[in-house]
Amino acid sequence: MLNLLIPTLAFLFQEEAGRGRLSQTWDAAAHPDLAKFLVIGALLFIIGVAGVLTRRNIIVIFMSIELILNAANLNFIAFSRYLQEMGSVNAVAGQIFTVFVIVVAAAEAAIGLGIVIALYRNKETIWVDEIDLLKW
Amino acid sequence: MRLSGYEALFFWIFALAAIFAGLLTVMARNAVHSALFLISSLVSVAALFVLAGAEFIAGVQVLVYVGGVMVLFLFVIMLVNVGAEERGRDEIFNKQKQVGASLIFCFLLVAGVLYAVSQGYKGMQARNPPNADAAVQQALRDRSLAVGATRSSRITLDTEKVGSSLYRYASLPFEIASILLLVAIIGSVMLARTLRQEVSADDVDPETLQEEKALDPELAKLEPKSD
Repeated sequence: MLNLLIPTLAFLFQEEAGRGRLSQTWDAAAHPDLAKFLVIGALLFIIGVAGVLTRRNIIVIFMSIELILNAANLNFIAFSRYLQEMGSVNAVAGQIFTVFVIVVAAAEAAIGLGIVIALYRNKETIWVDEIDLLKW
Repeated sequence: MRLSGYEALFFWIFALAAIFAGLLTVMARNAVHSALFLISSLVSVAALFVLAGAEFIAGVQVLVYVGGVMVLFLFVIMLVNVGAEERGRDEIFNKQKQVGASLIFCFLLVAGVLYAVSQGYKGMQARNPPNADAAVQQALRDRSLAVGATRSSRITLDTEKVGSSLYRYASLPFEIASILLLVAIIGSVMLARTLRQEVSADDVDPETLQEEKALDPELAKLEPKSD
């Protein structure tokens, strides 16, 4: 596990060989590129997944889902910028997809919060472990 | 893409802010605090969008997420506020075993995703090596853009490009998205109705109506007259 992770983590902060490790790290940190955007997106995604899996409050679970969708948007935007600089003709596709993700997230939030209100009216709880009507 | 100078500084500031605010969203005891931390996380991600050259998306993010969705969240939190978690009586996380299992799962996911990102990025760099020529051409294209009113930056054409492709290549998905929003509005109104509103719209199963009438005789008055 660890010998898998260490080169992976080291990769994040070094790009060019043949120079001191510290100056490489500093150079990589002073010039964030696509990989840094992807890592930030991945970390936000994982935080969202952890929130969905561990919290009991259904509203906080919804907020974690928004966090996950936002991490995906960050990846779309980063790749859009990357392709733009590579000279791709269809580079704004990532930004357009992000608009649709935001639209679907808004619709999902409206429906989900409607369900939360209906649930609270019938079950008087927002703890997900007490909502077990389908369990036997 | 390589950011440098102040852009790199702001990248790290906003990236750390997004991640810390995301962590606090998941860990805050009070749901209102969670919502406020989520707002700051979303604003930081919007700043990252600006750094990646997507100003329009950043604006949409702030308007739709922070201005719309999060206000909806805050309203719902205040509608269903049980107040127990702020007083510290109830546990905010699941049972210990479940939390442990999900944290192990998340750790594996972190390892897997970082490994995939590093491998994929290496492969991508091997396939399309960073093109100095493309960067020079991009700089030339940037120089031809009009200078903004502050004299320190140039006005990009990105928003224009996004708008025209949204209506040209993505016009069908655009219309479908508007139908989706309409359906979502109607659906959430339907879901959030009270029993009294349902009875007065004559939208309740007759058997259920009989049972509910036994509990609350007032409901009979609300029934629409059928002749």
